[in-house]
Amino acid sequence: MRALADNAAKQEVNDQMPRAREAHDDAASAAVTGTSSVARLDPQALQRLRELDPTGAGKLMERLAKAFDASVARLLPQLLAAQAAGEAAGIRHVAHTLKSPSASIGAVKLSRMCAEMELMARQGRTDGMDEKVAALSTELSAVQAALKDALVSSP
Amino acid sequence: MNPDGTPSDADTQALPRVLLVDDDEVNLLLTAQALRERGFEVVAVQSGERALELLGEWLPDVAVLDAMMPGLNGFQTCRTLRARSGFESLPVLMLTGLDDDASISCAYEAGATDFFVKSTQWSLLGGRLRHLLRSSRTRVELERSKAKLARAQDLARMGSFDWRAGLGGPLFSAEGLRVLGLDPDTALSLRRLLRLVPPDARQELMELLRDTLRHASALATDMPVTLPDNKHRIVHVEAEPEFNEHGLASGYSGFVQDVTDRRLAEDRIRHLAHFDPLTGLPNRTQLNLRAESAIEHARRMGHQVGVLLVDLDRFKVINDTLGHAAGDELLMEVARRLRSSVRHSDKEIELSLDSMGSRSHRLLEAVGRYGGDEFVALLPEVSDERDAERVATRILELMKEPIFVGGQECFITASVGVALFPRDGSSVADLMRSSDVAMYAAKSRGPNTHSLYSPVLAGRGREKIELESALHKAIERDELVLHYQPKVDARSVRLVGVEALMRWRRNGVLVPPADFIPLAEETGLIVPLSEWALREAARQARIWQDGFGFAETIAVNLPNRLFERIDLVEYIHQVVTQYGVPHHAIELEITETGLMKDSGNVNMTLQRLNEMGVEISIDDFGTGYSSLAYLTNMPISELKIDRSFIRELGRAPKSSDIVTAIIALARSLGLRVVAEGVETLRQMDVLHRLGCRLMQGFLFSRPFPAEGMQAWREHALLERRPAWAAPRVEEGPDDATRGKHLRAAGARPGN
Repeated sequence: MRALADNAAKQEVNDQMPRAREAHDDAASAAVTGTSSVARLDPQALQRLRELDPTGAGKLMERLAKAFDASVARLLPQLLAAQAAGEAAGIRHVAHTLKSPSASIGAVKLSRMCAEMELMARQGRTDGMDEKVAALSTELSAVQAALKDALVSSP
Repeated sequence: MNPDGTPSDADTQALPRVLLVDDDEVNLLLTAQALRERGFEVVAVQSGERALELLGEWLPDVAVLDAMMPGLNGFQTCRTLRARSGFESLPVLMLTGLDDDASISCAYEAGATDFFVKSTQWSLLGGRLRHLLRSSRTRVELERSKAKLARAQDLARMGSFDWRAGLGGPLFSAEGLRVLGLDPDTALSLRRLLRLVPPDARQELMELLRDTLRHASALATDMPVTLPDNKHRIVHVEAEPEFNEHGLASGYSGFVQDVTDRRLAEDRIRHLAHFDPLTGLPNRTQLNLRAESAIEHARRMGHQVGVLLVDLDRFKVINDTLGHAAGDELLMEVARRLRSSVRHSDKEIELSLDSMGSRSHRLLEAVGRYGGDEFVALLPEVSDERDAERVATRILELMKEPIFVGGQECFITASVGVALFPRDGSSVADLMRSSDVAMYAAKSRGPNTHSLYSPVLAGRGREKIELESALHKAIERDELVLHYQPKVDARSVRLVGVEALMRWRRNGVLVPPADFIPLAEETGLIVPLSEWALREAARQARIWQDGFGFAETIAVNLPNRLFERIDLVEYIHQVVTQYGVPHHAIELEITETGLMKDSGNVNMTLQRLNEMGVEISIDDFGTGYSSLAYLTNMPISELKIDRSFIRELGRAPKSSDIVTAIIALARSLGLRVVAEGVETLRQMDVLHRLGCRLMQGFLFSRPFPAEGMQAWREHALLERRPAWAAPRVEEGPDDATRGKHLRAAGARPGN
């Protein structure tokens, strides 16, 4: 199961998170503009997020990343379990739930993938679902990483 | 809301509180942050269950619910909180997905105030929330002012209605229905509404409605209604037409108000202003209005009007002796009889009769109460004076029947003065004056007569008016004097006191009391006159005291009227103190009638006077309504036997019986007895024999001015010149013994 492997990889990324934060502290001035992984996030959306906490005093981006991680940690196992059991309703629920926060943080591609998966599940289509789930899982990890990068590059 | 419409937190002072419910941490975090940035206080929770729990103890200004949530979703949460009391009008915003039409309609069904498609455009959400808060506040204010209006309408017994063209009957508010005595949800058709109005008024109302609708004019009328509980009320209806954009009348909107109480009060006020409350007859105002109308009509049609002034002859005596209640009873009975003597109409006349038809002046015919015991019969059309006299005769006939009042049969007579328009006067005032003159002429001619006005009579009326005005000025002009007649102990030849008698020195002529006291009584002038007499008596007592040691009493006649003065006791105290004479220098002579009237107050006054040392003597004893009870109840010191009994003494064989009885009565009650009007030695001797030694009369002295006092004393008492004072042989041994004994004991005579 590749998905599981991906999940393990994501776990790894998560483990690296404290270090990444320290890195941000050390090199605050290093990168003002986004790296390639940050590009996964819509710059306009990112800008809007930053505007919500212009001074950074609310540590919004940090809390956001944490909240997103928590969501993923809760929802990804649900998705995999539903896929394994062939439960369209379960898949649909996770896809729907992830769709809106993805859009909120500017993960446009992720959000669109969620929407497609939700539609598929609603229509009861299962063809290519495994691939879709795997792709979604990969994209999730990428977005999580990009969020952390954005955290580093935030003012 | 601000007048300029900009949202402001100053309206609520504190930040608006938002309850944010979303299961997704990311959205919850972002939305909460975005709203805080925009000046909201946010409480964020992650489930519907948690939200409902929180709402048990806290009320936000607005709730934002994510539609799709595990557990209780947004719709269920919304429905549950709407069912809770206090949350019926909490604004709820439902967050839905962009492509989720079903959710949007579900949101409204669940009772959400509005929905909002999730977006990262935070400012849009903030704006929507402010809008919700604003309209919620507006709605709360509206509810409050609706409640206030309802309360005010309720208090004013008022309610509104709308009447749209083509939509059946008028639609009444709950308050409006309450005015009509109907339940709040009653459907009221115009037919049913009209049936509340009694049939006789219904026709008129329908015509008015038709007319109003035809002209699309405003409606304002009072309609009588019979409510479902059978109560009769007056409902005021006021409605304005409403017009559509084409300027066509589209309906009416207006108010109904129960004005029954106001109308009753107005009717009562109007009635009180025009009718006498005691007898129910038209009063002076109403009579004058009627008389004016009658004169106007008569002038146009060229006929005559009769005015009959009816005055009761002995009403004052009845009022004084039997009390005001009996007097009132009598007036009511007289009113009833008078009413039957003419074609009395009770219809209130306010304006001219032009609109009432040519025979309408007959409606003016009435008897009214003009004053205390004065009534006026108005005859709007008489052919000649005989016509009017016939009514006068009828009235006098009706008075002859005895009237039962205060458990007693009373005979009352009246005097009627008749005056005719235009012969005896061309205005109401002239006619009234003429009838007054005629009435006085009738009075002087004897009881129960009538008299027509004639110019000859007018002179006499004027005389009386002049006399009255002169009497008014008599006191200030110092024209009144007191003359004094001694009361003596005929046996011991001692002065025991004097009676003060009022005289009026008018233009150099001494007017006898009989010529002005009745007028003074009638006009009320008797009160200042009597006060003057009390003051003058006290002044004289002081002069005599200083002059020759006068220490006896001066008796002043006190009319019944003076007992109405509550400060009588204080007044007497003040005058004796002013002149420095003892209280017992003044004695009061009152008549029996004065005592019987309102005996409670009189008794108290007498009691206080007696305690002060002012003694009370009963004048003219034996002639009034001799209710003897008061003799034992009241603090009386002296009885004066009326001169009519004394006059017969020694002439008629049985004449002494009454005097004997009075003396025995007085003796057993421990009262002094004084015989009045003693003119002959023979009378004096009989009185002596009967045991009465205190006397007053021409035999001893005529009344004399104050200056005559000293001379009389010296002549009569010290020198013993007059026949009555000369030493005499006692006629009976018993009397002689008693006389010596009394003299030896030095007791006050007769006491």
